[in-house]
Formats: sequence, C-alpha cells, structure tokens
Amino acid sequence: MTTAQAPAQPLARAATAVRPLVITGHGVVSAAGLGLGPLGELLAAGGPGHTGPQGDDAADYPPRAVRTVPDFKAADHLGRKGTRHLDRLTGLGLVACKQALDGLGASGAAVTDADSRRTGVVMATSTGSIQSLSELARDTLVQDAPYMVNPSRFPNTVMNCCAGQIAIRNGLRGLNATVAGGRLSGLFAFRHARVALSQGRAERLLVGGTEELSAPAAWAWHRTGVLREQAAVGEGSAVFMVEDAERAAGRGHTALAELLACEVGFYGATAERHSLATGLAECVERALVRSRVAVEEITTVALGATHHVGLDRVEELAVESALGGLPGAVRIAEALGETYSAAGAFQVAAVLAQWHRDPAPSGSVRTALITSVGQDGNAGALVLRDVAGH
Amino acid sequence: MPERSPGRRVVITGLGAVSSVGIGVEAFTAAIRAGASGISPIQSFDTTGFPYVRAGEVHDFEPRDILLNLDPGQWGRSSLLAAAASRLAVRDAGIDPAVLARSRAGSVMGTTSGESVVLQELSEQWVGDGLKSLDPSLVAQLPASRIAAAVNSELLLTGDALTIPTACSASNYALGHAFDLVRSGEADVMLAGGADAVNRLTHAGFYQLGAMAEETPRPFDTNREGILAGEGGAALLLEPLDDALDRGARIYAEVLGSWANCDAHHMVHPDSGSIAECIRAAHEAAGVTPGQIDYVCAHGTGTPTNDATEVQAVREVFGDRLPPVSSIKSMIGHTMGAASGFGAVICCKAIEEGFLPPTANVVEVDPALGPGLDPVPGKARPARVDIVQNHGFAFGGNNVITILGRVS
Repeated sequence: MTTAQAPAQPLARAATAVRPLVITGHGVVSAAGLGLGPLGELLAAGGPGHTGPQGDDAADYPPRAVRTVPDFKAADHLGRKGTRHLDRLTGLGLVACKQALDGLGASGAAVTDADSRRTGVVMATSTGSIQSLSELARDTLVQDAPYMVNPSRFPNTVMNCCAGQIAIRNGLRGLNATVAGGRLSGLFAFRHARVALSQGRAERLLVGGTEELSAPAAWAWHRTGVLREQAAVGEGSAVFMVEDAERAAGRGHTALAELLACEVGFYGATAERHSLATGLAECVERALVRSRVAVEEITTVALGATHHVGLDRVEELAVESALGGLPGAVRIAEALGETYSAAGAFQVAAVLAQWHRDPAPSGSVRTALITSVGQDGNAGALVLRDVAGH
Repeated sequence: MPERSPGRRVVITGLGAVSSVGIGVEAFTAAIRAGASGISPIQSFDTTGFPYVRAGEVHDFEPRDILLNLDPGQWGRSSLLAAAASRLAVRDAGIDPAVLARSRAGSVMGTTSGESVVLQELSEQWVGDGLKSLDPSLVAQLPASRIAAAVNSELLLTGDALTIPTACSASNYALGHAFDLVRSGEADVMLAGGADAVNRLTHAGFYQLGAMAEETPRPFDTNREGILAGEGGAALLLEPLDDALDRGARIYAEVLGSWANCDAHHMVHPDSGSIAECIRAAHEAAGVTPGQIDYVCAHGTGTPTNDATEVQAVREVFGDRLPPVSSIKSMIGHTMGAASGFGAVICCKAIEEGFLPPTANVVEVDPALGPGLDPVPGKARPARVDIVQNHGFAFGGNNVITILGRVS
C-alpha cells in the first residue's frame, strides 16, 4: 500500500496546519453507564458493557448480542416536563448534553444568556430515530386510517429533532447542525465543527453523536450481515464542548484535550486510484501532516470498524501502513457494541476516559489517532492530543 | 455577530434540477417563469383513505437517462434524485468529469426525510412478514448519508461526502457549508444541494399537523390553506472565482455570505425575531445592506403561520421598503430538503436572465400580511436582479439564509 500516486499539488495545498481546537466539556451516556469514569473502568477491565435489550420491544429483538444503556429514562435526568413524547435517541443525546453543560458550570465556563447566540450544536446521526420513523411509518399501514400518526410524535421523525431539542432545552441559539456520514458521522461532526469555528460561525459548539437501539434497528443490523456473528450492536451518546484553543485559553476555559486535524475522503467502489484502504491511509497521513504530529508521536489508536466483516481488516491494514503498527490499540466495539453514527464520538470518549483514568507521566505528551471507515466508501482520521503532559 | 471572513471568493457555475415542473435547469426555469404547476394526484403510494391526495411528484424521472455510474437498483429515490441533479449541474458547468474526479471535490447534500421511500418499503415488509423479513439490500439503502455518497459515487469524487439532514432548510445549510469548504481551501469544487421524495409518512404527518392544503399551494394568498408536499433534487456547483475565470466558465452568481441560527424555542412553530436575526447576520456576513437586496426567495410554505411569521421577520429587517418576496413552492410544492436548493437555483437564473420568480396561484394577497408586499403573483416579471436573499426554515427551528450576488 502506498500513497505515492496521490497528485502532488492537492496534497501540498491540503497540508496547511490546522489551528488547534480544545475539548472543554464532555457528556457520555453508554453501556458503561454515565460519564467518562465508568467507561474508563470498563475499557480497562476489557469486558462488555451492559447487555440485554431495553424498552417495550425487548422481547422482539433478534438473536444477537447487544450493549445497551441500562434503565435509561430521560425524565430521570431531565424532569418530566416536555419529556413525554421524546424518543430514546433524543433522550440519550439530551442527557449527554446536560452532563457536558453541567460540567462547564463547575469550571466557571457555563453558557450564559449572552453566549447563547454564539453557542451551537453539531450532532451526528445517519438515520435519526429508527424507532420513531419505523413505528410511525408502520402506523400509516395498520391504523384505522393511513393518516393516523400521532402528531406529537411526528416531529421526532425529522433527523434534526435531537439537535433541535438540545437547542430548545438549553437555549442554544447559534448554529445548529445535524450531520450524516454513515459510520463516519462522528468524525464529520468534528470536521464540521472545525470548519464552522474557523469561519466564525460560532464561538463554541456541542459536538457529538447519538444512536438508540430498538427491535427494528437490531433486526436491520442483524439482517444486513455486515457484522460478524458474535458482534454486538450498541447505543448511547457522547458529546463534547469544542472551541478554538487560543480563544478558550483567553477566556480561562480549562482544556481537557486538543482536537487537531480531521481529514476525510470518499473511496466508493467506483473511485479510481484508491482502494478503501489506501484512501484511509491517505487520510491518516494528511491528518498527521496537518496536525504537525509525527508518526512516532502516536501513542494510541482508537479503531472504529471492529467486528465489521472485511472492514475491520481494511482499517487495521490502512493504519498499519501509515503508522507501521497499531500502538495502544483501543477497540470500543467489545465494550459498547457497534454504535454507528455515534462511534466516532465514542472513540474520542474512550481515549479521553483512558487518559483520565491513567494520568500521563509528567513531561510526556500522549497523542491519539481516531480512525473510521464505512462500507459506503467513507473514510477518515482525527488526531487528539492530551493536554495533561504539557 | 458574524465577521466577514477572509478567504477565496466562491462562485456558482453549474446548476442541476430534477423537479416536478421540469428536468434540467432550462426546463425548470422556463416552467417557473411561466408559473406552471407540478402538482398532481399522487402515484407513488396508495392514497386510499387519505382525505387529501395531491403532491408535487416527479413523474418522468428515469435515472438511467442521466446517471452514468450508479446502478439505480442499488440506491433509494432521494439518492438518485440528488445524484442526477448533481450530474446535470456538472454538465451545466462544462467541467470535464475526468478533471473533476481528480480535483479536491466532494458534495454536501441536504435532506428532511432521507431515504423515505426505502423506509416505506421496509415498513411494509415489517407489517407483512415481521422484522425478520427485512430485505438486507433495502436496509443498506436506508441511511440518509447515502444521498451524498450517491453524488460522490456517480461523479467519482474523493472529497467530503456529507449529508445534512437539517430538515427543510437543509440544502441552504449545505450550500453554506460547501461555501465554507471552498473559501477556506478545504476543497476546490463542491456540489451542494438536496433531495427528498414524496412518501406516505410525510404525507400523513403534514396532514395530521393541519398544515396541508387540499388542492393547491397558495403562499401569501388570503385563502391559503397550507403545504403540498413535493419532491426532487437540486444541485449547485461551487468553485473559487479565480478558477472559474481561468477556465472561462459562465458564472451565475457569487456566494456573498450565509448564516444559520436556531430558534431554540419550539420544534414546529417558527419565530420571527430569530429569523430576523438570522437575516441581519447573513447581511453582515455578506457585506450587504437591506437596501441592496433586489429579491427574497421565500421559504413560503403557504401555511398561514409560516407566511405571517416570515413576512413579519422580513419587515423587521427591511422596514416599509420590502423587496419582492415570492415562493416557488406555489408551483413545485414543498420539496423539503431540496426546497432551498431549488430556491438557490432559481435565484441564480433570476440574476442571469433578469426576472423575478413568481408566486403562482395568488388571487388576492392576504391584507393581514400588511401593506407593500409584492409576491410577484402569477408569472415571472422582467427585472434586473443583482443581489438575492434565499430563505430556508425547518422543524427544530433551524433557519438558514444565503445571499447570492452578480459578479460584475
């Protein structure tokens, strides 16, 4: 595998160094529980997160392992007001955002009313709430009349419902985006935030991904055959407050980690010159160059396509070809299952959880590479740097 | 408030439309100028039991006539509409497809309901033989992300393939993001636009919300009833001004600026103050003043609430001197994720050909909307148009405004 065939000029232009962004807040709702702490413990222990279907349709799941957020009720975290018609996907996203925003309050970086117009949301989801969509689509076929869908639930079927609800609940009046890139959705959210912040479209963005499990979603995964037989499907939400590093420092906001380059590409079956693996390797190389990070500096690789038939091998081959190995490989799928649109955000959460649990020896700087690749041809890489060491 | 960011100037040099009033930008524009109607009885699903049965379907779309690389059997209708519109936009731009494929090029596509026709078929399988009978190849076609993936696959592009499911302002959002990618140097060519398809669930939902018209969409008319759903694919090709000049391209318009904000107020009720703020911010981002805007391409769904809120927001910014404000949804219906993409396409043609796009079906402008509102009733009017403002609003309170201008 080589990236030598890439045209010289585009690579040179693409090699502009990126301005560092920083993560200043985090919220995680996963099969490990709430927050980074339980996720770090689960990853260190090496076992699965919570197993067993949740919800009213738990009996209808296929014979397939799952990783679920146990006993999740949005109202337990958000209060009963306005939560009655929320679907699980939006509830998970809202609770992750609440955690991220509550954490800011403790560090004096809370979003004030004056900030609200410059604070926004970038949420990754590639299908929206499959439960809401499939149940309402079913209602048009099985109710007494085909139009008898619940009008209070209909707004849940638009894919920006979660981002809209996050804005409503938290008074965030800035840029509000929902991004879909299949398995790459999470990395697209970080890339979108980078472009939007660099173009002055917001000061701070809540960036992350969210997915829910239901019987229809689990069956859909099961039927496609893209996952290995033992692979679990998962759910949850991970969200981060992201801002420009220099501006955050100027305002006294505490950085947890630096977000460096996020490079993506599309290498569908028909693309000439690139196989999916060479495409991903190119993304990795470009991300490192634009981050001004050398191959040897990567201490952790968080992989996304684990348990995907064929795709897991493509991802590992590409990373090995770009880095010469898989240093400190983290595979979240065993703990959290396949979390699709939320996977990129969970990979970032997993690295932060590890760093949080095991502080770096003083003087050393840890740097992680987060990779993602999808059957559709999307591939990408994100560089994350620990701030604890410097 | 926004600052005008430095960066490359970005222009639109290619337009693609697959619409209920015509396929290809010339047919689309001619129909819009004439005030034609794309509304007809729904054919794509069985409407038995629905009180209202009309929509803006594209009946004569044959993907194989336009697409060179996609196998239509492998993709949902929204993806095919987006890919076809994008292929047409590339042709219109006169860029060699092989050169394009070697460029740093990608796509950003908006949608409301993603692959809604695929969802409809899967729900029929669920009701028929249970979840265990879901067709794996259909499941693979369901993610909304397939829409941009289809564009990149059809055009052999290796850059960003991003779908923006920000509901009914999504293609305006996609246009703004594509603009940012090109001006910042992250990409050299981007296809921006959107696609959606008429489907049973959206039809049921609009009806249940009480937002649907029975026969005819009549934005700004006293007797307007509401929305008729529509479908289609819209695409615009964006590149740096310098590259367009170098290759001697026809330049429709420059993207002067865009802005996006969120009402953060209610999922389905729009907020005029928030829209007015978005318009002001877009003006500032584009470096224009209200007096310079020659035309507003309205969101104009034709629901009483939308039109009153939208006109109020425009008044807050423009005072008593309103530019002409019209809605092409009067002809093609509410094409959802493609709607503001079609708006941007007609804005480009309005600048190029010199006309104000009409609002069809207006019999009497609603006096409750206040004095001085010119919705350009009936047919297009000749006019010099230099700077236009394109609106897109959505469930979730997502407002996006783009400002396009003539390059002189």
